[in-house]
This record gives sequence, C-alpha cells and structure tokens, in this order.
Amino acid sequence: MIEKPVFSREQLGMSVFTRRQFLKFSGVAATSAAILSVDDVAHAATTRPLPLGTPILVVLSLYGGNDGLNTVIPFKDSIYYASRPGITYKPETLLPISDDLALNPSMSGIKSLWDTQKVAIVRGVGYPKPDRSHFSSMAIWQSGSSQSSRDTGWLGRWLDTQPLDPMSAISLGSVLPPMLVGKKQSGSALPLGGLNVPSGVIGAACARLSVPSPTDNPLMAAAATSMRNLFSVSSSVTPILAKPAPVAQDLPTAAGGNAGGDTNLAQQLNVVAKLIAAGAPTKVWSVSLGGFDTHANEANAQSLLLGAVSTSVTTFLSQLKASGRAKDVTVLIYSEFGRRVKANGSEGTDHGTAGPVFLVGDRVQGGFYGDQPSLTQLVDGDLAVTTDFRDIYATILEKVLMTPAEKVLGVWKGRTNAIKS
Amino acid sequence: MDMQRLETARLFHRFGYGPKPGEFRSALNQGLAATRQNVLTTDTQTRAAPELTDLGPRPAPNSPDIVEYSRVLRYQNQLLLMWWLDQMVTSVNPLNEKMTWFWHGHWATSVGKVNYALPMYNQNVTLRKFALGNFTDFAQAMFFDSALQVWLDGGENTVKAPNENLSREMMELFTLGVNRYTEKDVKELARAFTGYRVTRTSGVISTAARRRDNGSVTVLGKSAVMSPEQVIAHLVSQESCQRFIPERIWYRFISSTNPLPENHPTISAFASRDIKNLVTSLINDRALSDPDNSVVKSPVEWFVGVSRALNLTPSQLPSFTKLYSYLEKLSQLPFQPPNVGGWPTDQAWLSSASAQFRLAFATWLASLANLSELAAVAPNNRVEYLLDWLGIVEWSARTESALRAVRDNPQRLLTLAICSPEYVVSA
Repeated sequence: MIEKPVFSREQLGMSVFTRRQFLKFSGVAATSAAILSVDDVAHAATTRPLPLGTPILVVLSLYGGNDGLNTVIPFKDSIYYASRPGITYKPETLLPISDDLALNPSMSGIKSLWDTQKVAIVRGVGYPKPDRSHFSSMAIWQSGSSQSSRDTGWLGRWLDTQPLDPMSAISLGSVLPPMLVGKKQSGSALPLGGLNVPSGVIGAACARLSVPSPTDNPLMAAAATSMRNLFSVSSSVTPILAKPAPVAQDLPTAAGGNAGGDTNLAQQLNVVAKLIAAGAPTKVWSVSLGGFDTHANEANAQSLLLGAVSTSVTTFLSQLKASGRAKDVTVLIYSEFGRRVKANGSEGTDHGTAGPVFLVGDRVQGGFYGDQPSLTQLVDGDLAVTTDFRDIYATILEKVLMTPAEKVLGVWKGRTNAIKS
Repeated sequence: MDMQRLETARLFHRFGYGPKPGEFRSALNQGLAATRQNVLTTDTQTRAAPELTDLGPRPAPNSPDIVEYSRVLRYQNQLLLMWWLDQMVTSVNPLNEKMTWFWHGHWATSVGKVNYALPMYNQNVTLRKFALGNFTDFAQAMFFDSALQVWLDGGENTVKAPNENLSREMMELFTLGVNRYTEKDVKELARAFTGYRVTRTSGVISTAARRRDNGSVTVLGKSAVMSPEQVIAHLVSQESCQRFIPERIWYRFISSTNPLPENHPTISAFASRDIKNLVTSLINDRALSDPDNSVVKSPVEWFVGVSRALNLTPSQLPSFTKLYSYLEKLSQLPFQPPNVGGWPTDQAWLSSASAQFRLAFATWLASLANLSELAAVAPNNRVEYLLDWLGIVEWSARTESALRAVRDNPQRLLTLAICSPEYVVSA
C-alpha cells in the first residue's frame, strides 16, 4: 500500500508530518514491543553490564527528508546556486571539508569531528527506483528492503539472530520504530519521562485486572498484557539516573510548523549516554529528530535542525569519553530521502532522492565514500543514487554488530568500508 | 459462552457504538431477529449543522489579521469535531453513523492538510448521505469532494503535469485494492481526472478547461474519452470492486486477521453495489457468531461507547482541551487519520502507553458521570449489573474478582470495568 504523508505548510496548531505520525501509520506501534522504564535499563546495567569494548550502534533517524544538498554543499558549483536562489548559503559562512564540498554553517561540531577523522560521509545514498513518499521511503530504509511492505525491520532481523533479551535494542520514545521489529523479538521502547504506573487502590485493582485469564481470546490477552506491562517496572534500583536528564531548550518553531518533531534530540541522546556509560546491555539504540520536510522557508529551519544534530551528537560523544565507551560507539545518521535540486516557489524544496549518510565515532574511518551525485546528470530532475544504503547496513552489521550481513539482508555484495576492523 | 449475548453484543458494539443504559437487556428480551431488525432500522437524523463559514484567503504570515483568522480557524475545527462526536454519542439507531465513521477511515482525509473545517464538514455530509447507499454514486460524489481533492493533490493534476496521487488511491485504496490494476492504468486514470480546481477555504470545485486532458484514455481495458463520472463507474463495475468493498467492511467489522472467505455471501449481496444490501448480509452472517472474530475498539469507538453508557455529551464535558488531549494521546482524532490508508486496527491500540492513557481517560469520564443508578444497586450485585449496562458478553473470573474488590465505590468500579479486556475488546 502506498501511504501518503500528512503534512502541510499552514498548520495552525495541527501537527506536521513527524516521526509520530509515521509510527502511528506503521501500525507496529509497540504491538509486541516491551515498554521499558529507565529503571529497568539501569537495573540491567548494574546486574549484567555490556562488556567494555563491545561495539554499540546508535541510529539517528531524521524524519521528513533532509535536504542533502544543503547539508554537504557543493559550494563551488554554479548550478547549485542557480538552481535554488534564496536557499543557498554564502560561501564564506560554509565549513569546507574538501576542495568543492562544505558542511552547512550550523554543523561546526561535526566539522571538528571530521577534522579528527571521526566522520565518514557517504554521498549519494539511496536505492533503485526512488519512492518519494515519506511513508514508503522510510519503510524501505527501515525494513532494509526495497519492498516497503516487508513487515520486519533490518535491525529487527538482526535481533532475531540474537538471544532473547528486551534490552538488546532500545528506541527512545513511546512508540517503536518499524526498524526494530523482528519476527522472534522486537526492540523495546523507552519513553522519555517514563510511564505513570497507577498506584494505591486503583493500582492494586489494575494489577488484578491484568492477570492472564484462561478465557481470554488473543486480543483480550494482549489488552491484559499491555496493562500488566505497566507494572513490570522494577522498583528498587540503584539510582543511576538520579538526576533527570537536563531538559534542553525546545527547538525553535520555524516555517509555521514545529520543526523539532516529537522529542528533543539532545534529551534523547543524554539519556542514551547515561545508560551506555552505566553499562546497559544494549547494542543498538535508536533516536530521532523530525521536521526535515522543508517545503517552504527551508534555509532557516534546516539550519536549526542540523545545528541540533551536530551539537547533540558532538556532546553525546564527548559525554561518553569519561566512561571509556566512546571508542565503542558508532553513530549512523540518515533520512528517508534527499530533496529536489531545484527550489520550489516557496523557498523550499520538494521530495527528492539521494542524500548523504553520516557515520560518526572512533571506529569510523573518516573521509568520503560514494561519488558525489552530479548536478548536471539528473534523473527525472533528481540526484542520481551512487550508493545503495544497504552497502552501509552490510558494513555496520559485519563491523559493528559482528553479524553476517546475509542473515539480515540476504545475499548483498556491496560494502561501504568506513568502519575500522 | 452464551451465543445470544455474543451476537447481541457484537451487533451493538460493531454496528453501533455500544448500548445506552437498558438497551442491551431489552434487546436480549426481544431476541436476535428483532435486534438485527432494529440495527438495520437506521436513523439518518443529524444534529444541527455546526456554524462554519468560508474564512476566505489567509492573511499574510505577519499581518495583524492572522491572529484572529487562526483563532476562528481553530474554533471552527473544534466545533466540527464536537459536532461529530456528539452525533456519534446521541444517535438513536447508529448504524448509519457507524458506517459514516467506517467511510471516514476508507476515504481517509485529514484536516491536517485540508486545514479548513468547512470542506471537512461537507465531506462528512457526503459520507453520511451515501453511508448505506449506492457505491457507484458514492464514489462519483467523492471525486467531486473538495477535501479529498485537496488531500490528494487533485488541483495539481493537469494535462501538462499530471499528478497521480488521486488516481492511484482511487484504485488502490478506494475502489479496487492493491495490485488489481497496472501502473499504466494509474497514469491513464490521472489523465481522465484532470481539469479541476479547488478553492480550499470554501470547498468549491470549479472546472478549468485548459487544464483538462481531452484525449481518449485506456483504463482497465476500456478506451474512450471519459468524464470522471464515467471512468469511476467503470472502476466500480469491476469484479475486483465487488470483492474489495466487502473485504474492507469485513476487515473493520468482523476481523482484521481472518480474511473474508472466498465466495462469501456479502460479495454477491454487493452485486448491485448497494451498500445496505452488503451490510444486511453481513449482519445476518454466521461470522457474527464465530468466537474467533474479535476486534479491539479503536479509541474513538471506546470513548463514544463509554459516553453513551454514561449519558455524557462530548461538547458538554468541562474541558475540550482535556478531551482532545486524551484522544490525541491515544492516537485517534476524528478528521485526522494518520494517512490515506486510515487508522490501524486491533493490537496497534494495545500498547502499555495507551493502557495508561485509557485508564486516566476512564478515571476522568467516570468522575463526570452520574452514577446514582449504579449506586442504587446492592454492592453485591453491581459487577453483574455492569454486564448488561455496558453490553458485555461475560466477565472472566479474573475480571470479576478484580471488580468485586472495588464494588463499594461505584466510580472506581466503573473506571476499571471500562478498562477491562472484556470492554476494550469486542469479544
């Protein structure tokens, strides 16, 4: 089924296309997923910590379609300036990373990591026959399959190769992204702020009401389980997270919509950093930022968002240094598609195809991978795809998650050798 | 399991929004045949239309007028939402109302993109007009629905630059089902759909001759110059349509997991494309007595059912913001389906987060209800009394003991009863 996005430039209080809407659509909304509390993870971290030196993957999904051409900018190409008047940057504000490419002015943190060889930029990433629907394209990226109808996610299939453990893969937020849905087991969702467990008389009654009953049909049993899971929160745990994660400032509102998406990225990464530092037995973390669907007034909105990405990822990695786990962590940053080369009539860009993928961390072999798509040889007015995203997945599976790529992707030849052995 | 109770409960909760106090017991006394007949006796009366106006062009982003404009826009959307929720709760014979809700999820259009309440209201009027009518007429009317046109970029579909959004969904989601047409059909159908423009705020559709592709198109084997009405009649006449609509109704009313059986009676009942015929056939079908076919009430269905049982009127609740926020947290707001595919089903509504929100919502609703009737029942009989009141087939031993523990407090008892697996799920 081809799904259509809900988005608009004139929202007036209605929600824009965000990660939440994508997840709502996907229907996997924590069907079989456990909802964890911070306490659960903290408890696991103290009782069975992840051995130091175990590689950890942090996936950062940028929802809405990040404009790759204004992220990694071909600042010497006159076609770039001619194609999108009003949404280009002055060359002197850019952060050059090669003779002809520069990072968005807001990405100074990522630029300094690039200078220390900790950033791999894979250019022109996409897949054959690009789909310009947010839903279909995100489903393709998250399933790791060009059939968007595939009902498991690429990391869910990786989970299927792992021992059963709700801590293996954790997504920040109350709903589980399709990426973490497997056949045998799915990742867990960790709502920021956690769930309010009913207490007192009503709590005791709810606990009784959610006991399994032999007469329940499968859906009633699922209803009982969902309520019971509210109580499966361990109560006496070393308060690793005694202090609440500092609430970063909300992202500014841009272009009439809430450009920040659901939850604050800095806050999500702050919780992840604390839990990794504490030794959580978790090899995959998923965080996200929405608001990249910049059909109008793009430059300002995207700059704010990329700034948030750059700052929070940089802060995250430096927070980890003290724990001795910084060298274990690899961050993958992607979006469901790039945007059109040509601007539209409202100082924005419409849905496009290829875009850059970032890999960040000590284990990353810094530099460029994949060819920069040409601005003259467009396919239907869009950038040509030069690297298949599954090349990157295959390398991550093998070099970070230490799992044969074939078990997740089937036979897949391509690799992006951006991770040190 | 008491089969009469099972079927009666399904008739109430699936083909309506759950019983009002006393209705379930009275239906049991009348027997199944009479209850089926009652369900099919529909009431198409609607409450007075909400006062919606054409807001006219939107003022510039930084102009002083934008604040008032935005306020009125928000207010109109609120009026519209309350109007429909009230309509669902107060409807006397709610089959037509329930079918309107079904069709809203079928031709799923969101105010998130349409923005304006007036075209969304107009669409709702069309949905209720044809809810049990002729599907050919219905599909033709929906093509000329301005909200759907805006939602699927109909105005951008021109002879020079065809946009396939509406034509694809017309076949995939609205009339035929996925893969029952080719990509070529999508492109050709888009050509037959060109030539219309929509004024968003008023919902007025006008023809734009210069945008119209006047050539012959070939859609599903038929080549001709066809108007939208003609080509839609051609789509609806397909055999795949005769199967597709029964499939969709089965999916929402009977089971999202057990597929519609081959040669199911509803398919032949739909031969003339008469929706009421189809629904009548389904209401008399043995699927209704198969215990395998349970469904989870969606958040709106749950809320409306509770409001009916408790005699609460949505627009009279003390806080619109609170009501809106609960429905939003439970991920279902009328007029805001998540995408053109409509809302998910069953397990998607059963996360721990939604269990928590449902409990909070239930606590609030129970605190607003007049529970003197329940309080008048001897505590020892209250748990059983709730069965008929809420239209529940039976309590499990688990739920019965949980409820008995709080029977002395009617408010608490009711809160838990409407959060029980037996109420959240239509058995």
